[in-house]
Amino acid sequence: MTAFDQASARKLKNSEQLFTGTEVDKGMKSAEPLITFRNVCLDFVGRRILQDINLSIGRQEFVCVVGPSGCGKTTTLRLIAGLLQPTSGEIVYNGKPVREPARDIAVVFQDYTNALLPWRTAAGNVSLALEAAGVPRTERPDRIAALLEKVGLGNRGEAYPSELSGGMQQRLQIARCLAQEPSVLLMDEPFGALDAMTRQHLQDQVLRIMDQSGTTVFFVTHDLEEAIYLADRVIALAPNPGRVAEVFDIKLPRPRNQLTTREDPEFLRLRRKIFDFVQESEA
Amino acid sequence: MNKNTTRTGKILWLLASLAFAAALIAGWQLIANMRLISPVFLPGPDRAFDAAVTGFESGELGGKLLLTVERMIYGWVLSSILGVALGTLIGSSALARSYFGPTLEFIRPLPASAIAPIAITLFGLSNASVLVLIAFGTIWPMLLATIHGFAAIHPRLTEVGHVLKLSRLETIWKIALPNAVPDILASMRLGLTISLILTIVGEMLMGLEGIGNSILLAARSFDAPNLYAGVILIGLIGLVSNLLLDMMDRRLLRWRPSR
Ligand SMILES: Nc1ncnc2c1ncn2[C@@H]1O[C@H](COP(=O)(O)OP(=O)(O)OP(=O)(O)O)[C@@H](O)[C@H]1O
Ligand SMILES: [Mg+2]
Repeated sequence: MTAFDQASARKLKNSEQLFTGTEVDKGMKSAEPLITFRNVCLDFVGRRILQDINLSIGRQEFVCVVGPSGCGKTTTLRLIAGLLQPTSGEIVYNGKPVREPARDIAVVFQDYTNALLPWRTAAGNVSLALEAAGVPRTERPDRIAALLEKVGLGNRGEAYPSELSGGMQQRLQIARCLAQEPSVLLMDEPFGALDAMTRQHLQDQVLRIMDQSGTTVFFVTHDLEEAIYLADRVIALAPNPGRVAEVFDIKLPRPRNQLTTREDPEFLRLRRKIFDFVQESEA
Repeated sequence: MNKNTTRTGKILWLLASLAFAAALIAGWQLIANMRLISPVFLPGPDRAFDAAVTGFESGELGGKLLLTVERMIYGWVLSSILGVALGTLIGSSALARSYFGPTLEFIRPLPASAIAPIAITLFGLSNASVLVLIAFGTIWPMLLATIHGFAAIHPRLTEVGHVLKLSRLETIWKIALPNAVPDILASMRLGLTISLILTIVGEMLMGLEGIGNSILLAARSFDAPNLYAGVILIGLIGLVSNLLLDMMDRRLLRWRPSR
């Protein structure tokens, strides 16, 4: 945390360094924050929802956000997405304040059923992102096929969303997000509505895809174990008003494995620690 | 439910409705044969059918039918295009909404028949007048359905559009309009019925050749068989066009979960 704040302070002092910095830091994980919250407050109709959020997210970092229902997880995510503007403070992405959505920030919504175009096939839904990015018509079919293949929907391109299971619909949404070739992937409880098996399978799929593409991930979840399993860092929010309560560094080796990682003493220690913390803060 | 039982179910329903129609025709024949009503006013289905056959053989009835169907379809297509276009304009812009809204609220309750005299003074007793009449009376369901379809976009889809940075036109074309298609199709079904009604009324009011006018003339000359033949033909136009619309719905709404 403090390291990041120092980094962003440096960035403020010397904006030239920022540009050279971005190039050089590309391979180095979280050397320079990609997203920075500076004293962000947000009010909804006179009610304070988020209070003084200060946060830095490094390049290629996998950050999970946990916290009780209504504490402002979705709101935080929507701020990064540029779908909401803070009442005060600012969110800086790639050195620039976020004012509107950006092409290279993709959002995986929790309610996949509503986020897909029901009148387009799976291929058509992926195509939407390519069309939006101005990819020429002739290049689209190959890219769509590759993206569907990547999320395991290679043979369901002609199916309509209503013909896909929940897990498949969520994978389709992920494929559409990957079509944006995002630098940042924002995921709002993406697996919340899925059964345990599908959930674990998708967790691994996301980890693998992120590992290949080097995308920065901001992942909201209710599930502490999911957060620890996936993240480099777990941010716990506290409610009323929403604020950062605690940040946990997760130093578990990668690649992670559903069996060994979850049995790792460090995993169990972290689970205990975060669980106790959440219980305490809710009491 | 497996496919077989639903298919048998469908066939049973079809048979039942055919039986109902047959019973109705038989009852009609019975009443006509018993002369409960003077044959001058009520011909049996046999005589109405004969009149239709004679009419088609001479080629006269077929020509009239064609004219009527043509008017109905032109009017319907015209009002659908206008309705969807205007609905898109109003549905996608708050400015347009506040600009046109009050005027439309004033015009909407006007009965279409009140427009006929105005159309006649402008375009005479012509096809153009009937078209204006039909378009005026038929545009409303399509207009309102489009506006509603635009207003009923799930906020998540709007956000998807924002996140992907779709332009305003792309949003309309790729999200809002397809989202309104089910509403629009339903309204076009209603519109077709209204269009048929106004075609008949228009032909009668303006004395244009067609089924509407021919049943009016048949009634005036106490030619009951031809009158009934005309009325039945109008019913058949409605039936056939609804069947065609069913096919269109099935094709365009294939993405919907089967119910
Ligand atoms: N559009 C809105 N208008 C007013 N209040 C809102 C709005 N959206 C969210 N809120 C309030 O903001 C607070 C945070 O909401 P948010 O959706 O971010 O919570 P969350 O942490 O994502 O909860 P959950 O885990 O249930 O999804 C809640 O108290 C909610 O009532
Ligand atoms: Mg939420």
